Amino acid sequence: MPVRAIACPFCGLVCDDLALEEDRVDARGCAKGAAGFARRATLLEHRIAGRAASFDDAAAAAAKLLGAARLPLISGLAADVAGIRALLALADRLGAVVDRWPSAAQQANLSLLQRAGALAASFSEIANRADVVLLLGSDPALRQPRFFERLLRNPGALYRSAPPHVTFLGPEGAAPQDPAVSERIPVAEDALVDAVAALGALGDGRKLAPAPALPLQPLTALSERLAGARYGAILWDVAAFPAALRGAALAVLLRLMRRLTLRTRCVGLALGGDDNAPGAAQAMLWQAGWPGQVSFAEGVPRHDPWANEAERLIAAGETDALLWAAPLAGAAPPPRKLPTVALLAGDTPAIGAEVEIRVGIPGIDHGGAVMRADTIVALPLIAARPSGLPSVAAAAAAILAHLAGAP
Amino acid sequence: MITRLAGARVFDPANRVVDERRDLFIADGVMAPPSERVDRSYDLDGLVVMPGAIDIHSHIAGGKVNLARLLMSEEHREALVARSAGTRSGSGIATPSTFTTGYRYAALGYTAAFEPAMVPSNARSAHLEMADVPLVDKGAYVMLGNDELLLRLVAAGAEQERINDYVAWMMRATAALAVKAVNPGGISAFKFNTRDLAIDAQGPHYGVTPRDIVRTLARAVFELGVPHPLHIHCNELGVPGNIETTLATIAAAEGFPLHLTHAQFHSYGTEGDRHFSSAAARLADAVNRNPHVSLDVGQIMFGQTVTASGDTMAQYRNRGFASPDKWILMDIECDGGCGLVPFRYRDHNFVNALQWAIGLELFLLIEDPWRVFLTTDHPNGAPFTAYPRLIRLLMDRRFRNDCLAQIHPAAQKATVLGSLTREYTLAEIAIMTRAAPARILGLDRRGHLGIGAVADLVAYAEDADRERMFEAPRHLFKGGVEVARDGAILAAPPGASHVVRPDFDAAIETEIGAFFDRHMSVGLQHFRLSEGELADAGLTLVAQPCRPRRRA
Repeated sequence: MPVRAIACPFCGLVCDDLALEEDRVDARGCAKGAAGFARRATLLEHRIAGRAASFDDAAAAAAKLLGAARLPLISGLAADVAGIRALLALADRLGAVVDRWPSAAQQANLSLLQRAGALAASFSEIANRADVVLLLGSDPALRQPRFFERLLRNPGALYRSAPPHVTFLGPEGAAPQDPAVSERIPVAEDALVDAVAALGALGDGRKLAPAPALPLQPLTALSERLAGARYGAILWDVAAFPAALRGAALAVLLRLMRRLTLRTRCVGLALGGDDNAPGAAQAMLWQAGWPGQVSFAEGVPRHDPWANEAERLIAAGETDALLWAAPLAGAAPPPRKLPTVALLAGDTPAIGAEVEIRVGIPGIDHGGAVMRADTIVALPLIAARPSGLPSVAAAAAAILAHLAGAP
Repeated sequence: MITRLAGARVFDPANRVVDERRDLFIADGVMAPPSERVDRSYDLDGLVVMPGAIDIHSHIAGGKVNLARLLMSEEHREALVARSAGTRSGSGIATPSTFTTGYRYAALGYTAAFEPAMVPSNARSAHLEMADVPLVDKGAYVMLGNDELLLRLVAAGAEQERINDYVAWMMRATAALAVKAVNPGGISAFKFNTRDLAIDAQGPHYGVTPRDIVRTLARAVFELGVPHPLHIHCNELGVPGNIETTLATIAAAEGFPLHLTHAQFHSYGTEGDRHFSSAAARLADAVNRNPHVSLDVGQIMFGQTVTASGDTMAQYRNRGFASPDKWILMDIECDGGCGLVPFRYRDHNFVNALQWAIGLELFLLIEDPWRVFLTTDHPNGAPFTAYPRLIRLLMDRRFRNDCLAQIHPAAQKATVLGSLTREYTLAEIAIMTRAAPARILGLDRRGHLGIGAVADLVAYAEDADRERMFEAPRHLFKGGVEVARDGAILAAPPGASHVVRPDFDAAIETEIGAFFDRHMSVGLQHFRLSEGELADAGLTLVAQPCRPRRRA
């Protein structure tokens, strides 16, 4: 059997050079990809109230449970694009709230685009052009093991002759150890936003008085390096900023990028985007006009990043039923006493939900498409090891078919 | 199943039928000869029946539209669309969500709309998104001319045959219907921090001029036999004096067919106190004299919208006009880019007012309705929902002059619009919005009502107020099924996705594959779409004929 290149859906890089031979996957040295493709569907039984049921009966029971709820929540959303599209159709019909789990960090990035805009670039631009890179907040390789290899160490870069100068700015303990990092500017966790603000002020040409928590000299050198870059790139982990200051920190970064762009080029990229979070946001945007935190309860798609956030809705007891679907993450829903329909991957232990429907993992059990963290490129997945489990899309469609009056 | 549409006034210019009262027959979704047996009959007594309208240039899907939706969040919050038993909810005006886009087109009598700026690396996502646009046929023009591999080939003096192979490969890989070039060379140049690229300027890194790119791509599209000519968004969009670039672009094609898109934005002179003037007459004259050239207008209409373009260079230049004040630029995958800038066009702003007049001048000065197309470059000039009003402006001189009297006084003086007496006829509207778009895109079974055509057709009640007439069709049939009546959606079938599949020498794939492996973050085998995945997403592909040709 020939070796076939396949794409990996388990982080926001969606590397597509993994090798599939028979049912073995060479994950190119990536622990996360290897662990993802090692997942095996051993639990295949759909259940209603703990008892084995057919797929169709389980879908009917799910429709009954969700249809009777006053404000159902559809969350998880670590699924392929087809799964998200089908869950949205179901949400529209149910009058449900739809939000990813968790969603706050991603929404902090997206609300900057809603409020102010962006200067952005996709992976191949950064890999081929960036000569100065600022990494903010955390070590991307922790969640995306091949980050440095795929984005910054590109040996075939088209438009730069030397590797980029990479500066890490963030807490010392979070600094990446990858040799691609040229320089580390440590700042305490609670001083990171101040450091970003200082960088922004320096970019505006202002003089700063020394402050004990701020490494002023390295920040000044960094500011000058970005100004002297041909193509600078600022890559940030928004979760490294305190929740209340994320909007402010990102606004400073955007202002800095805009100012740099007056004379040279500088682009930004939000790190993260694992488990097809970008694909979920894109499909919600095109179907509803919003990237998340959407309530269909009034028959129209209303967006409210606070009110419709899944974690808050559950914690506040404002939702009375949950449809959970996150096979890519392999996660079980948060432990709450909430009538639950769980679409669980075949390796996720049963949780005793009212209805459990076993679904496949995109890229292992069935094909599909997922999007990278740069939100522009969708990659195709194949069934590397088909188990016959239905997809999230098939399960959502089956539930929808059991609801009367579905369009 | 045989359906009769009885007693309609039929406008079917492709078959030389103009306002003839006759019965039409539909069998199994296609136009059929008269039949004794009839299963269903509609009494369309006196209604004006035309083929479903076709929008050849409308930004309805793809990454940049989603980015524009984010920017337009205030508008989305206000413009919410409720679900009904048969329709999905949605939001937005300038950037409607996908289902809403399909319903709104249907409510205006449109049965096809084509996405004109698909960045190659965004093709999969764009098609997945279009799968959620119901009721209209779709298709996409792949953006070439800023893709680094093409620039390398041109810079290296590659033979035209190899360029043709590359273009054909790209069209197949991205499931495209046509090829568009946006600011040829300019989007790439902007990535190298070049802020302006004139048509004969050598771009950075490759030293290739826009003129080289235009000639090479226009020839490739022609020789591959792709029905639609190179769809060109010229360099220098929006810049006063850009008429010289636009005329030079026509010359650059060296006689190969060329379609100038949103030409209004490319018809500016530098005369007058404000150094901004109409050059519509010069472009219209060039089009009238060159039968191989066509254009769509990109009319602006006053009000709020968002400009969504692949032209990062132009959008960066325009960022200061953003209203509200926010904008997005993105460099994409060494093959394109996008820029989003919200705009509010104001009738009391001299430049906006003159832009409005320039668009109308183009419509009225170009003689052949087969070569001028009705577009607002949705949403760049205005949302497509402005079409009924635009049709009234073309058909009703008194209304046009009343509107002209409202705009900035200096703009009134700077346009010849008030002296133009032409009023479009219903037959000409039917050509411009149905027969001609189908012909120029090579859709042989759309845009007409001859035997065998797909039964996409629309019935309007005659009304002297043409805006009212065109904004409220009585019946819309899609594939022979009545899908809308008096503005209500009755059914929402998916619509076909049109592609062309030119042939290529497989040797090119080795070269493209090596480039992808060495430089890109996606491999060739995953960059390329497969028919299976598009079918799985719910798309029905229809391949239009495509035969290689050589210039005599």
